[in-house]
Amino acid sequence: MRKIIELKNVSKAFDGQTVLDNVSLDIYDNEFLTLLGPSGCGKTTTLRIIAGFESPDSGSLSFLGEDILSLPPHRRNVNTVFQRYALFPHLNVFENIAFPLREKKVPQDEIRGKVDEMLRLVALTGFEKRSVTSLSGGQQQRVAIARALISRPKVLLLDEPLAALDLKLRKDMQQELKNIQKATGITFVFVTHDQEEALSMSDTVVVMSEGRIQQIGTPIDIYNEPRNAFVADFIGESNILSGIMLQDRLVRFSGRDFPCVDEGFARNEPVDVVIRPEDVVIVPKGQLRGTVTSVTFLGVHYEIIVDIGGFKWMIQTTGFADVGDEIGIYVDPENIHIMKKSEYSGLFGDYSSFSNEFDELSDAESEAEP
Amino acid sequence: MKTSAKIYTALIMLFLFAPIAILLIFSFNAAKSLSVFSGFSLYWYRELFRDAETLGAVRNTLVLALSAAVLSTAMGTAAAVGIFRLRSKVLRAAYDTVTNIPMINPDIITGISLMLMFVFVGRLFGAATSLNFWTMLIAHITFCLPYVILQVLPKLQQMDASLPEAAMDLGCTPFRAFLKVEIPEIMPGIVTGLIMAFTLSLDDFVISYFTAGNGFQTLPIRIYNMTKKTVTPKMYALSTIIFFTILALLIMTNLIDTGPGVEKQEKKERSAASKRRTKLAFGIGAVLAVGMAAVLFLGAPKKPVLNVYNWGEYISDGSEDSFDVLQGFEDWYLANYGHEVEVNYTTFASNEDMYAKLSSGAVSYDVIVPSDYMIARMREEGMLLPLDFDNIPNYQYIGESFKNLYYDPDNLYSVPYTYNFTGIIYDANRVDEADTGDWDLLWNPKYAGQILQFNNSRDAFGTAQYKLGLDVNSDDPADWQAALAALKEQQPLVKSYVMDEVYNMMESGEAAVCTYYAGDYFIMADAQAPGVELSFYAPERTNYFVDAFCIPTCCQNKELAEAFINYMLEYEPAVANAEYICYGCPNRLVYEDGAYAEDMGEEAMEILYPNLDDFGEKYEQFAFRNLSPAMLGTINTLWEELKIN
Repeated sequence: MRKIIELKNVSKAFDGQTVLDNVSLDIYDNEFLTLLGPSGCGKTTTLRIIAGFESPDSGSLSFLGEDILSLPPHRRNVNTVFQRYALFPHLNVFENIAFPLREKKVPQDEIRGKVDEMLRLVALTGFEKRSVTSLSGGQQQRVAIARALISRPKVLLLDEPLAALDLKLRKDMQQELKNIQKATGITFVFVTHDQEEALSMSDTVVVMSEGRIQQIGTPIDIYNEPRNAFVADFIGESNILSGIMLQDRLVRFSGRDFPCVDEGFARNEPVDVVIRPEDVVIVPKGQLRGTVTSVTFLGVHYEIIVDIGGFKWMIQTTGFADVGDEIGIYVDPENIHIMKKSEYSGLFGDYSSFSNEFDELSDAESEAEP
Repeated sequence: MKTSAKIYTALIMLFLFAPIAILLIFSFNAAKSLSVFSGFSLYWYRELFRDAETLGAVRNTLVLALSAAVLSTAMGTAAAVGIFRLRSKVLRAAYDTVTNIPMINPDIITGISLMLMFVFVGRLFGAATSLNFWTMLIAHITFCLPYVILQVLPKLQQMDASLPEAAMDLGCTPFRAFLKVEIPEIMPGIVTGLIMAFTLSLDDFVISYFTAGNGFQTLPIRIYNMTKKTVTPKMYALSTIIFFTILALLIMTNLIDTGPGVEKQEKKERSAASKRRTKLAFGIGAVLAVGMAAVLFLGAPKKPVLNVYNWGEYISDGSEDSFDVLQGFEDWYLANYGHEVEVNYTTFASNEDMYAKLSSGAVSYDVIVPSDYMIARMREEGMLLPLDFDNIPNYQYIGESFKNLYYDPDNLYSVPYTYNFTGIIYDANRVDEADTGDWDLLWNPKYAGQILQFNNSRDAFGTAQYKLGLDVNSDDPADWQAALAALKEQQPLVKSYVMDEVYNMMESGEAAVCTYYAGDYFIMADAQAPGVELSFYAPERTNYFVDAFCIPTCCQNKELAEAFINYMLEYEPAVANAEYICYGCPNRLVYEDGAYAEDMGEEAMEILYPNLDDFGEKYEQFAFRNLSPAMLGTINTLWEELKIN
């Protein structure tokens, strides 16, 4: 695969506050790459540096091997879909989509053909004369995509494009975006704070936190082999326990030794142990025992919080247990994932203060920010 | 509840629009009076369109307002964009505050400071006159700018910040992005700013007043200067036209702004509407360009220019079928001297205004028409040039009684133009003939509540001093105390203390007795309501005053000025002026003329020209003269004491 964009050691600070800290990233041809992270992690700034709206304090940015840091936005072969679409309210649908071609002085009949093609691509044929402000959110989104794609850029940058849509529409648009990407073969760089969105759409996921890249990998890699506690917690739910790697394939945590499949750690090295809630099985006796403190019914499964020796585990199971029940749990060695200790160790993975409501609140907050 | 709300709304509407309704109605009045509507007529509209000076002022006002509006809109929009793009919040707040200063600063301070700056800079470059159209334009742009910024800045702040970024992302240079995306977005603010600047400039008086130079007069200044005499109904007609023009403009902009009403239809028309707005802006720009070119062209006349500075409404100007004296002079000059001249005629409202303008050094006039006491003062301060009477042979026609008066004892500096005196006007239908004849009528308890007294200290004290036989120019405070006592005694009888309101109150019969100037009596008598029969007499002892032509030291063309003064004493212009102004005329060609006497009527001739042989004697004895500043201070204190009661 051909490398299209290469960021090398890029750093950026606003008013003395570091936003990007030595970020290096390669983006390849025909790739759906997602920048994932909580608000303030630097993902939007990375996108804006690629688009040319910000310039880094240090580091380099090359496009097909050529340094493009000195190029203004209008001379870069990338286009952007903005979070709130940024459609031009004084122009109708046709003129919005035709805007880049008009700037390039393309002849009228050629414009006509290309706009029609784009309208077909985003399923808006017949909307040419409509005013953009009379469209629904999803329709505006499609116009924005059509407008960004009509000049056939090498790379399309999408800045949380689905954040303003409701859940149902968002799911449809995810699918549609994926289809458009496949149909056009254009590289998509997609920014989101929604891990589910990132996992379901991307070829490559770049997890960012505090201006640094935490992990780059395929969705499956990221989910199954999180590199540190931050990634493990941010991607899906995780029970993260502090343990000691006694030897290859044997780890000790919660006062017990567990067989596992990881190797290559030093003897008695302190480690983080990740166990996904759906991998914990409730059994009569089990490796560990604890008391159920809360049970939430979520349709497909129950979410059960169990207090085991003061650490609260989350378990997702189709079986049922009542609050106050004492239960045993079992974890298959395959499902125990060992990570090296990091600055994030001990910050995540204990469900003592967990509540669904709280999770949603923090989600809403991060959406409100640019 | 609902009815009371309706009544409340109706009341508010009434308060807002009743004055305009009255103005509108009386602009169609056949008569001059403001109290009697004597039939529908377009007479005043016809008169208005014959009044070249007023139409000139209207044109000046429009050119100025258009130029100021377009330039301040362009500059203000650029400034707003600049302020909006500032990254530092502190800097942005600072700019915001600084640009708001002209808006919250009192106009009078802005006006004075601008005038000072223009005069100072003008002197630096050695200009004789530093105030002109361009300084006024700069002044108007100065006070319009913050309003434009105030309209445009919020539109920028409301705009989605990613719009210009999107445009650049799609291939626009930053400047193209501004033109193609930002300008359409903030266009409503720009248009509102433009219209606001236009109307602000249109009705500005205070700042214009301070920065106006010779020859360029705007409408508000011209109307203000009409207050020596009463404002003519032509101005009602003009105000009505202006009101409806602005109303139309307002309705138009509201239609453009809200034209597209509901969602679906709306959007289709939006781009069309913004195109219309753009066209409107370009149209205004084109008109401006033509206007500026015209002003530039007219601003540089090749023929010599005579700058005349006179009271408002104080020359026969061709209105109401009168003789146009200024045009007459230009023709006369061409016939006698063989080349063309242009008279640049500007007006003032009071001696003090004129004096202030001249002593600012920012203007230059060739002929001025001050009153006697002001002539004395300017002569003492060396502001007048001695006249060369070889160039003014017509001076021979001035009556002997009007020569060697105290303000110009050796007849060196002035040529009298008009004279007038104070008298008593009464309604003969209500006032007993036996009670008339002297000042006591103003103190007669029979007419309690129907008497009007001057609302100006010098004139009011004068009535008491003449009544008591005191010297009106006394420097003994005791004399003034005595006069004050008399005024206090009169106070319970007085209906009100008035100046210009006197016309209406007498014409309508609201009051029966007043004291005012002889020349103004004719105006009142002309417009009196049915059932009112106004009459006039001048008591033996009363105030006389003379207005005379003088040439100030800033004069640029003395011979031309003297030719003008000489022409004003010729038979035709002198009679026309005397008939137009209705004051006494010191020119023998006029007051000894049979046709003039016939035109004026017997009563007027008796009043204006009682016995001119002892005019000089009475004038020297009774006329108001300059008082010391200390004395004026004392009088003001006493006057306030009276008014507070």
